[in-house]
Parts: sequence; structure tokens; C-alpha cells
Amino acid sequence: MEFEAVIGLEIHVELKCPTKMFCDCPNRTSDEPNVNTCPVCLWFPGAGPRLSQDALEKAALLCLGLGAELQPRSAFDQKVYYYPDLPKGYQLSQAHLPLSKGGGIEIIDEDGQTRRPRIHHIHMEEDVAKLVHEMEGRLPISLVDFNRAGVPLVEIVTEPDFRSPYQAMEFLKELRTQVRSVGSSECSMENGTMRVDANISIRPKGSDQMNTKVEVKNMNSVRHVGDAIAYEISRQSAAVQAGEAVVLHTRLWDPDKKVTSPMRAKFSGPCVPDPMVPIIELSPEWIEKMRSRLPEMPAARAERFVKQHGLTGEEAALLSSDSEVAGYFEGLIGEGVPPRTATHWLATQLIPAVKERKQELGTSPVTPARFASLLKMLAKDEINANAAREVLIQLFNGNETPEEIIKARGFKQVSDPNALDSLIDKVLSAQPAAVADFGNGQGKALGFLIGQVMQASGGKANPKIIREMLTRKLGSISN
Amino acid sequence: MDSIFWYKNPDVAAAKSGELKGLKILIQPNISVAGWPTEAGSKALINFKALEDATIVQKLRQAGAEMPGSSRMSEFGLGLQDSQAGEAVRQKITDAELVLDLMGEPRLAAARASVCGFKPSYGIISQFGLIGLIPSMECCGILSGNLKTMRDILKTIAGPDERDFSVPEEKTRDFSLSQIDPQKTTIGIIKEAKKDLSPDQERIFLSSIEEFKKAGFCLKEVSFPEFELFSLVHNMVGSVEASSCAGRYDSVRYGQRAPGAKNWNEMYLKSREAAFGPFLKSYLIQGAYFQFEKYEEFEDACRIRARLVSKMQQLTSEADFLVLPVSGQASSGAVTPLAETYAQFALTTFANVSGQPVLYLPPAPGAVHAGFQLAGPRLSDARLLTLGGYILNLRQGGR
Repeated sequence: MEFEAVIGLEIHVELKCPTKMFCDCPNRTSDEPNVNTCPVCLWFPGAGPRLSQDALEKAALLCLGLGAELQPRSAFDQKVYYYPDLPKGYQLSQAHLPLSKGGGIEIIDEDGQTRRPRIHHIHMEEDVAKLVHEMEGRLPISLVDFNRAGVPLVEIVTEPDFRSPYQAMEFLKELRTQVRSVGSSECSMENGTMRVDANISIRPKGSDQMNTKVEVKNMNSVRHVGDAIAYEISRQSAAVQAGEAVVLHTRLWDPDKKVTSPMRAKFSGPCVPDPMVPIIELSPEWIEKMRSRLPEMPAARAERFVKQHGLTGEEAALLSSDSEVAGYFEGLIGEGVPPRTATHWLATQLIPAVKERKQELGTSPVTPARFASLLKMLAKDEINANAAREVLIQLFNGNETPEEIIKARGFKQVSDPNALDSLIDKVLSAQPAAVADFGNGQGKALGFLIGQVMQASGGKANPKIIREMLTRKLGSISN
Repeated sequence: MDSIFWYKNPDVAAAKSGELKGLKILIQPNISVAGWPTEAGSKALINFKALEDATIVQKLRQAGAEMPGSSRMSEFGLGLQDSQAGEAVRQKITDAELVLDLMGEPRLAAARASVCGFKPSYGIISQFGLIGLIPSMECCGILSGNLKTMRDILKTIAGPDERDFSVPEEKTRDFSLSQIDPQKTTIGIIKEAKKDLSPDQERIFLSSIEEFKKAGFCLKEVSFPEFELFSLVHNMVGSVEASSCAGRYDSVRYGQRAPGAKNWNEMYLKSREAAFGPFLKSYLIQGAYFQFEKYEEFEDACRIRARLVSKMQQLTSEADFLVLPVSGQASSGAVTPLAETYAQFALTTFANVSGQPVLYLPPAPGAVHAGFQLAGPRLSDARLLTLGGYILNLRQGGR
């Protein structure tokens, strides 16, 4: 029997807020253990939660960025469970009245089709403390670090709309791009600021039944999510074919062995309304205010780049996904660089060069203004591409302007036919064999000759003009 | 006297100025004062000393009040078992006492001590630093022999608090004395609140409110058919909230760790089990039962709560205030301590469910009744205290 997978994702995203969700403690989990704590996040007797306005705003922006509808009324519940990582006995989470409902993200699936996996809802919740199990000699000890307790999170719960690991991975990449562009989170699976659980079940292909699902956790990269889902699909398919039942439980992904293994029965404790945190009522005016703070989203920006600057869809997607890159690109356009030149040089030269130097585009010494003046000279044929690449390296090393570098190093391109004419004649008389080859119809001889002229010019000749002049001269020789 | 005090403050500061200068205010050890033992009546917190002052304590200190210490209380303030609330006020050792009202404790304690007891409206007093158990129902109550003292204290401790978002940001409330015109004031008697009184008790209650008639108030019977559901709703919702709320008291850090556990998990379980008394434990287990097993019934109770609150609001169009017996004196013959406690508080829980203010007034000297409760609409605290003052003034021969 052929099976298809039904996959839903639960994505925890840590909000980039300076403080925790219900107190003023710094939101810095990597500090020395237990330094960022207070009576509220340690849940001392008499302490009560105060919802951070910043966390609410960042969460709301994230919802709007993902096309979700903010609910006029949402509230916190107590998710009850008893474990030392949660000394108050419940986690504050929005189980009954989530912050937003709906939403979705467009992706291109493996067949090149556009799909829009739907988001069921997005809710806010606090993180719990971190347990560290160690050995003290031969004695096992368990330590609790409360720096993480109360760190603001949102959980994005999707509909079971994915049919393959590929689709889930594309969704996560796109989600990361969009959340980063609204500035609510750094969304890094590697650093734990984005954590993904996948719910996977299988069914006979073409059926619409929903079978028992298995939850898989502990993937720390988008690739691992794909691998874990793929593993789980084949594991379940084999089990069903062997006549075994799939039972509801949680499995952990082991990235080294590339397998999932059972962890525990899936937990589902009660969620009761929290009587301490006031109900959150969002007015239409407030929601509009948040919407006005939303930056242009990548998809909309890509569409605009195609329309406004005549880029291809692929180029536009490449330049619009990162708001820093997009901003840089628009900076170049604003300086008068032709869009095609800007796209090409940004993608193939500047971005790799910045990465190689472990810099950020926004803070690199190659500002849009400096890079633009280089590219404009290139576009006007004042220098050639080789020279431009040399100048770019110099732009990283100092603060001279491109003009100064070109002047100092004599990079200015020679396009004057009179100056080139004698150079070409010299090369033609020095290379009779190549001239003969060209006459016998060997096209690559032309490239060789162009190279010789370039060399003779010290790299400064304009290759376009050389080609024209050479073709003309060689034509007259062979005739 | 030590049978009353749980903790005596060794250095009571006598303030030179302030609205409450010279006033002695006793608290209970579920109200945080930095450095004071704050066990909230529970072995789970037997070694806990508060880290900072509750907001109301800060305000009392700033207003010049003296804080002689804390009185013995029931476990987490639920019910009056082992509680000495009201006794120090009765003996005039203190001018007033602050007691959390979870289901009517300060009102029944006041009845026991024959002093006045007040439960303010929900949401006007900061809960920061109060070790509660039923957050949506409880409120800091005030006991005193003197209604002016009560009003001064309320004025001091009420108001928004940046540390407690459940108190709305709003302009300072007016707690000053207003005028009461008996001819224009209707006082409602809820028919169903008398239902469980014996004929004798009913006769005594009706005679107790003769005072109002004599003073010219308009007395009127009103009907609230679902009144008895207040206690049931309080019991269900209260136990669920308490179960969550007490989740943090594991007795591991501030109580006593149970010895002989095989691993940390067992140590937690055993310590927690040993921490709570049987009465509170039965309440928490009941709450956990509704959380884990009968969640729909808890949701029903929440819906009924909303209905009761709106019906109570409608009653305010029929009467300006309500007068109710305090009950509690008769033995209910209930089989469990929990059921018995709820029977004892059957006529006080309504205000915790609805959040409205209630003032208990003791009988006039020589009168045979048990006193009565006066209730007003939410946020009518000042007018309610004015009405109480009017009655007390009449008793002393004033107009």
C-alpha cells in the first residue's frame, strides 16, 4: 500500500525582548546560572505576574507578519504540571483564548507548485527553567537554572497541511525569514530561539482520514526537522505494514544515529483560566497601530522589486528575503546604479565577500554609497569588471573612495580606439599562428587574442571594444 | 496574649506624622512584611521570611501606622480553623486587623468578636505581597471597632499598584463620607438567603433589621432564586484556583524536606504530602479532581458564576443595598470538615464570587441577634461605610 504523511508543526519562537514576560529580569539565558531572577520568576509567595507590554507588542507584530488575525480578547491559562523546572506547578500559556487565529505562509513545494500551509493559531507563553543533570563524583545531581524561567515565547501551531519533509522545511525557512523581518525574534534553531516539534501520522494515499499521530522533538536545525520527519514516515509505514498499531506518544530525534526513539506518553494536563493576569483586550485602533509598524514583508517586497526594477522572480526573492540585503539593494538603486548591475554585483561579489570577512552587510565598511560609485563607473565602462573586483577588495581595506583607488592604481579602462589600435596591431603581428587559426574558422582563437591584448594593456583595455576592433581587423585580414 | 499573636514586632516604630499616625494595625502572616516570618498558617512555609513589603504594608507604613505583629491564622487563610482573627480587636490590643477574605473570614471573625468587619470590592486593593489561595475571589478585609478607622485604612491601602496589574489604573477613588437619606434608600432582603434559617433564627434576623425601619429606610424583599449556587460555585472554582495556586508550595525550600526519599521526585512528593493539613489537602485534591477529571463541570461553574454576577447587578436596580444574615451558628451536620466549613460560610461566599463590598455590623449592645451583613454594588465601598456609620450613629442616639 502506498502511504502519505500528514504533518503539523508546533513552533516555539523566543521573542527578542530585553526583559522576561512577567517581570523586569533581563532576558539573557546565557548568563551565569540564576543571576537573572526575582521573586516573580522564582514564584515566591505573594509575587504576581505583570505582563510585559514589549512582549505583547512583539508577539502581536509576529502574528500580523504571518497574516494571522489578532483576537480582540485573549487570556492566559495555567497549564498544570508538576516538575522541578516549573516550581509554581503551572506554565502560563494561552490555551483557550489565543492571541491570534488563522494566517499562513506561501511556499513552493517540491513540484514547483505554490501552497499555503495554514496556521491554526498563535499564542503567547512563558518558558520554564532549565534542568541540568550532572554527576558529582558518583552521585547524580540535578541543578535548576531559572535564567530561562519566564522568558517570553510564542507558539505557532499549524494545521496538518504538510505532506512531505520538504514542505515542512520550506515552511520553516520562510517562517524564519518573515519573523526576522518583523524583528520579533532571531529565530535560530541552532541557538534554541526557534524550537520545532512535528506531529506526524500516515494514511493510505488519497484517503482523508486522520490517524494517530506521533510527536517528534529535539531537532536543532531545519535539516534535522526534515530528516526526523522522513525517518518517522518510514518507521510508521513499516510498522503499519507489519500490522502494528501507531500509539500516541512523543519521540526524540537523535541527530547522530539519525533515528527517533520513544520518550514518554504524550503529556496533556489540564489548562485552567489564570485569575492573576488580566484579560488582554486589543482595540481595533491598537491593532492598526501595530499594523502600521509592520515593515514591508518579503513576499510583498519581492513583488515590488519585479514590478519596479524589472528583476526576475528568482532575483527578487533572493534580494527581498533578508531586510538588510533588501535595504542595501534599494540604497544602491537610490544612488543611481542600474538594477541589473546592482543585483548581479550584490549577489555574486559583495555578499560573498562580506560573508568571507565575517562582517554584516549593514555595518560593513563598503557602504551603499561607496559601492554605488564603483558600480556606476563600471556601468559607464570607465573601468572593466576585473578592475572593479580589485577595487572592491580595496574598499574593504581602507576608506579611500573608488575614484581615488582607480586613479592611484591606474585602473581606468582604456576605451580610446586610437590608443588600442597600435596595441592590437602589435599583438596581431606577434601571433601569426592564432591569426591563421582564426582564418581557418577556429573561434577560440579570438578569445586568445583578446586575452593577449588585455595583457598588453595591463588589464586596463575595454574588452568589449577590443572584441569589436579585433573582429573587424581579423575580418579584413582573412578577406 | 501569645495565643493571639503569631509574631510580635520587636521594634514598633511610632511615626511622627501621617494619616494613620498612632493607629495600631495587626496583620496576619500571609501579608508580607520584609523579614517577618510569613508562613501563611502552613507548614509548607514554616521557614519563610518575606523578602519585601506587600504594597499595602508599604502604604500603611508611609501613612504612619504602627504594626504590632501578626495573629494566628488558618492554613493559607481558608476558613477560621485555628484562626485568632478578630480577637485582638475585641480585646482592644489593636485598633484594626487586616485579614484576607477568601470566603468571608473577616466577616465571621468580626461576628465572633462582636466588632465590624469589611470586605472591600475586588480589584481596588493591591494583592502584591499577599499570599493568597483563590486569586479571583479574595481581597484584603479590615476588622475594627470603629468605622472611621476602617475608612481611613481603606483610603490608605486602596489604589493602583504598578506591581499588580489586576488593580486598574484610574483616578483616586473618593472614600469620603457622603450623605444618606433613609427616605430615598431602599434596602433589599434576599428571600432565598433566609431559606436555611430555622424559624427562630429567621425571627431574630428580621427583628435585627427593625433598626432600618425605625430609621425610615425602605425595606423590601427581593428574590434571587439561584442564591444557594453562590456557595457551590465558590467551592468548585475556589478549589480549582487553590489547587493551582498552592502548586508552588512543595515544602522543599521553605518547609521541611521529608526524610528517607529514594530520589528527588519522591522527596518532592513526600515533602509536599507532609506539608498540608487534612482540611486544606481535601480542598486541593477536590480542585485537582475538577482540573484533571471534571473540567467541563468546572467550566459550567464558571458560566454559572457569570450568570450570578449579572443577576446580582440587576438586583441593584431594585435595591440600593442588601441586608443578609451572617448565619454560620447552626451546626449543619455535615460529614466532612470541608462541607462543614462551606455550611458555616454559606451566607458570606456570595460577595467573593461577585466581587462586591460587604460590611458586617455587630448587634447593638444588649441586642440578642448575631449582627448582619450589608452589601452594596461593586465599588460602592464608600457609600456602604457611610450607611454603616449612619446605623452605628443612630444606636448611640445620634440622628
